[in-house]
Amino acid sequence: MALKALDIYKLLPKKNCKECGDPTCLTFAMKLAAGKADVDLCPYLDENAKSVLGATTRPPIKLVKLGVGERSFAVGEEFVLYRHDKTFYHPPGIMFKVSDTDSEEKIMAVTARVRDETLTRVGTDLKFNGVAIVNTSGTVEAYTKAVAAVEKTAGLPEVLVSDNIAALTAALVLCGSYHPLICAATPENYRQMCALAKQHGCRLVVRAPSLDALLQLTKDCVSEGVTNLVVDPSPRTLGDFVTRSTMIRQLAISRAVPDLGYPVYLDAIKFDDEDAAIALGIVKYASVIVTSPLPPASAKAALTLRQNIYTDPQKPIQMNPGLYRIGTPGKDAPVLMTVNFSLTFFTLQGYLESSRIPCFMLIVDTEGLSVLTAVAAGKLNESLVRDAIKKFGIENEVTHRKLIIPGYSAPLSGRIEEATGWKVLVGPRDAAEIGDYLQQEWKP
Amino acid sequence: MIPDPNFGWTSTVGEVVLGATQSDGGTRSRSYRIGGGTTLPFMEKTNASPSPLVAFEICDDSRFWSPIVNEFCGDLIHDPGAWAKTAETTYGADLVRLCLTSTRQRDFSDILSLGKTVETVLGSTTLPLIIEGSNEPKIDSEVFLKCGETGQGERLLLGTAEAGRYRSIAAAALAYNHSIIAQSPIDINLAKQLDILLKEIGVPKDHIVIDPYTGALGYGFEYSYSAMERIRFSALKGDADLAMPMICSPSDSLTVKEVREADSKERNAVAVEWEFATSLAAAIAGAEIVCVRHPDTVKRLKTAFAGLKTRSGA
Repeated sequence: MALKALDIYKLLPKKNCKECGDPTCLTFAMKLAAGKADVDLCPYLDENAKSVLGATTRPPIKLVKLGVGERSFAVGEEFVLYRHDKTFYHPPGIMFKVSDTDSEEKIMAVTARVRDETLTRVGTDLKFNGVAIVNTSGTVEAYTKAVAAVEKTAGLPEVLVSDNIAALTAALVLCGSYHPLICAATPENYRQMCALAKQHGCRLVVRAPSLDALLQLTKDCVSEGVTNLVVDPSPRTLGDFVTRSTMIRQLAISRAVPDLGYPVYLDAIKFDDEDAAIALGIVKYASVIVTSPLPPASAKAALTLRQNIYTDPQKPIQMNPGLYRIGTPGKDAPVLMTVNFSLTFFTLQGYLESSRIPCFMLIVDTEGLSVLTAVAAGKLNESLVRDAIKKFGIENEVTHRKLIIPGYSAPLSGRIEEATGWKVLVGPRDAAEIGDYLQQEWKP
Repeated sequence: MIPDPNFGWTSTVGEVVLGATQSDGGTRSRSYRIGGGTTLPFMEKTNASPSPLVAFEICDDSRFWSPIVNEFCGDLIHDPGAWAKTAETTYGADLVRLCLTSTRQRDFSDILSLGKTVETVLGSTTLPLIIEGSNEPKIDSEVFLKCGETGQGERLLLGTAEAGRYRSIAAAALAYNHSIIAQSPIDINLAKQLDILLKEIGVPKDHIVIDPYTGALGYGFEYSYSAMERIRFSALKGDADLAMPMICSPSDSLTVKEVREADSKERNAVAVEWEFATSLAAAIAGAEIVCVRHPDTVKRLKTAFAGLKTRSGA
């Protein structure tokens, strides 16, 4: 049962020390009650208060940070099962695997790729997140060499995958203070793993073959003093993954089983079709996904799917209104008006670029609404277009006075002509036809 | 013990039958009963609801088709019968979706040829068929009646009804006992509205498949994904006007910039990845039929769906 803010406040030290980041104990209590803060942020809580507050006040899925510095990332702290209920906050980190049986050059090349590769879409830079270093050899020497090769190439978040405690111990001497994720604690070895995690402040993957066993093991690890956990329900089929990951999410956010409220780990390499596992991981609540270094086509699809699913459904992505150029348009180049919904913008821009006809795009501010919605809602209207023409100085850019408008805004054509004095041409409804349209219809 | 998660469902997704075998008065080697889901996709405890179906799309005029597919499929693209047969025997599709792209020619009027094409395809494959009719409202009525008549007894799935344009297709479906695809632009309320319109003119619920429209990956797919999740959710919560199975056709996938502008060595791989990721995610959101155009996507989807239907039991 969730506690009320005042009940929580009674358990707090009431020092107003601000060390939790909040100005007073009362505001901290209010955040705890809303599930928006973690009890651990308060350094003065006694064990009794902690156990009372415990899992009922922290966010239903614990926030776990991996790595340090610019490329560190956080996962967990999610609140919903469906993105349309609110949004998904923390996209999964996708980690490329290297093995300590690979050559040093290969390990460094994969690490450098994760460090450098960027896919720019809709004005955002998309990257992979880190490196998972696997102790395939089983030896301490090979493993420390591999970890050193990654370390000297980039300061990326790391997953250390080994069941050899000696190898992990040696590796942690090199990278233990950079908040790596060690993988994995099992019912057999969890005491030693917890000791290592505690000693270095690492994050820890907890792995068990059933949700019942996983629940027991997370409790065991917490009682050993390790709370930065990531849970691996060890799926053997894609169906296992989807059902177990969904159950963990649902049981955690409904607080039916709060002790399962940790981010989910997915080893995509175990599956014959890694792309399938990655896609399912992205849509169904995985937070750390380990994969082989992906071929270019798979890499693009994975990054794009992740961007789509983690887009906040409450706010359309918007472009800045203004005048955009395709190629080097001259004084007689066509001017195409459209809305500032980024999807519309990038779709049209793509087709215009491939038409190879230099032109201007006049982007007007419909608050991120698409053409269809903006027309229906009255956000796209003649005065908006008139003001944009003046504001962005198109009259100095072209000598003609012809404006191409989207097919779905055809009902506005007369009013735009009257308001602007420009001749209005109604373009196609589908951006895919813009190239043909310009070729056939455009005369300055 | 871990309790079963409680999603609060009170209802189930309706069912639609596609294809008719001999015993049902058709000539198909199999028929499918789609829908029937009682919870989120792939979360069923029993195997009550079937795996999503993979439809392979072919056309009768390849000038209006993806150049990537045309190149990959070679001469087959000029022979819808042979293409349909290959989809069944080689690509491993569950359904064939015939898109009558020839109707997109300017001033198209050769309705008789459409009937022949449908007949050829029905004779070449034993799979149940989806037929995608005209792109031109003026000839809708003739086109759909011709398709409906030619496929009488086969329980076709006819596409595509939209809010401003559903009477001709509904008439053909009602006259010859076929089902129809009801498409709305990525909006749960519009989907519901269209289902109600169809209900009002007498199309039975078990003859409607919802197409919430699939934006391509990277180009609005997230809106489609959420629209599908919401439709499934509403069906399970008891909204009878949305309790129909869904179809997803990520056909825009092959025209996106990432695919068009991929270098020639990589273009096939990108095309397949784009179709695959979109279709797989759509199936997770609730699509019972996914439609693809690249032959290599079919097997990968079938394998992934088989994996999704398998539990290790631990």
